Amino acid sequence: MSTASLQEAPGRSVVNAGRPGKRRSNRVGSRLAGLPWILPAVLLVVGLIYFPIGFTGYASTLDWNGFILSTPKEVGTANYAKMLGDDVFWQALWHTAYFYVITFSVQTVIGFAIAAVMHSKIRFGAVYKAIVFIPTVLAPATMAPVFRQIFDQYGQFNWLLSHIGLDSLTRPWLADPGTAMPVVMFITVWQWTGLTFILYYAAMAQVDTEVLEAARVDGASSLRVLRSIVWPMCRGTTAALAVLGLIGALKTFDIPYLVTKGGPNHGTEFLGTYIYQTMVQQKHFGYAAAIAIALLVLAVAGGSIMSVRNRRAGRDQ
Amino acid sequence: MFDVHSRASRIGLQILATLMVLPFLFPLLAAIQGSLGGLGIGNYAKVFNTGIVATVFTNSLIISAFTIGIVYAVTMLAAFGFAKLRLFGREVWFWVLLAALTVPEAVLLTPLFVVASTFDLYNELAAVILPLAAMQVPFTVLIARSFFDGIPTELMEAAKVDGASILRVFWSIILPLTRPITATIVVLTLINSWNAYLLPMLMLNDQSKQVVTLLPSFFVSQYTNDQTGVLAAAVITAIPEILVYLALQKYFERGLAAGALK
Repeated sequence: MSTASLQEAPGRSVVNAGRPGKRRSNRVGSRLAGLPWILPAVLLVVGLIYFPIGFTGYASTLDWNGFILSTPKEVGTANYAKMLGDDVFWQALWHTAYFYVITFSVQTVIGFAIAAVMHSKIRFGAVYKAIVFIPTVLAPATMAPVFRQIFDQYGQFNWLLSHIGLDSLTRPWLADPGTAMPVVMFITVWQWTGLTFILYYAAMAQVDTEVLEAARVDGASSLRVLRSIVWPMCRGTTAALAVLGLIGALKTFDIPYLVTKGGPNHGTEFLGTYIYQTMVQQKHFGYAAAIAIALLVLAVAGGSIMSVRNRRAGRDQ
Repeated sequence: MFDVHSRASRIGLQILATLMVLPFLFPLLAAIQGSLGGLGIGNYAKVFNTGIVATVFTNSLIISAFTIGIVYAVTMLAAFGFAKLRLFGREVWFWVLLAALTVPEAVLLTPLFVVASTFDLYNELAAVILPLAAMQVPFTVLIARSFFDGIPTELMEAAKVDGASILRVFWSIILPLTRPITATIVVLTLINSWNAYLLPMLMLNDQSKQVVTLLPSFFVSQYTNDQTGVLAAAVITAIPEILVYLALQKYFERGLAAGALK
């Protein structure tokens, strides 16, 4: 991962000052003058991220229940072999993949559309903006019980359906794997579209209004302007959101854990929930560590590949 | 973006906007409605009567304050070091931090759990604060460094000619210029530490150590399936968050959107 790779993600760069390397000549002090300044950050990250990763790597070769006093048994790569033959592991991966594709696409479409509408002459724009953004600042853990209630057999969603004549559709949404996953995705979209919206909203503010006016004078419709001018100009934002969404999908834990506990029948199992369950409930620390290492590899590889691709696309523009 | 001239199209657009926004509001209304079922306002009294509301808010405040403090201090020092001072192997050091950007929390659970129980950090707020800070730092250093890169080095050189030490330059010249990035760092860290669930759930079992995100689940275990209590607890924890957001709206949105402004 390099500096440029993630430059466009939210909050990443307030002042775009060009490449860091260019200013080397007028930096101050002796050869290691910067070391004491960066050391606290490096120690914190090495001590609390790198060391634990190393430990997880070691633990992944053990058969161990996690108690310090119990003697772990060395099993080599047995945990990894077990993982590759574990249906639940593959299910969790598959869930992560389609969860990512669907939530990212839906958030992009809705977030972009709301941003476009909010940039038009709308009353109560400030109120609407706040409503869309509020879910982003709320804890998933706070809202999870609310959604459990809404999608319960006797919840508001079924009440709504039966009042608009869709009685036949009412069901216990969280009890069936086929509907529990869409609910988990719905909650995610509800929660994170505010961020997508705010980023597109900010990006659209940078679009030159003269270009838009010129296109309109030439007879382009609003939709056409959005598709052919605004959307391409927001490409950087879309790319940054794609990376963020991928990392977010791999990190998914709070919502499926709190809403469905990864069930029913592993129907909403993600790598995070599976690791937690394996470790805390089944006390298979070694196996949990092996899955954690797989998750780490996916997150680092996925993040790097997408950033590199984005950077290339950025250069070609 | 949409060019509206006629009255009809303006109204149409307003209706479209309203329809798009309402689904975001419904779950919040459902939370309030659900929390008033059964005992009505009494559900809120029930939550407060447990006596842990003040405890969880205090603990969350402590955790957020310390996490923000650590992240801010460590980030500012590192960003200054990376952007303004000579450093052998700079990009290697930087890469060491950046590589940790995408590490999921779940990867750290096994070792953190074992280490915390070995060193008896279990049920200590520090066992949550330190990992939260460590996970935040790679990102904040990344954004702070590019901000510091934009501060002209000539400012520092002028001060050095006047005989100021590096420490003094950092403190009196650079830091006062970093207010925009400070707001971003504080808001991001606040959201991430206040909303953290997995680490507190794992590390803080003692009731006197729990945090706001654990308040709703308290009612699931305590009174089996007391939905109204759970929802009242959810509303109680959501309200302060919404109020803080509304009060600092500009900083929240700017903080999260900063990267998109090119």
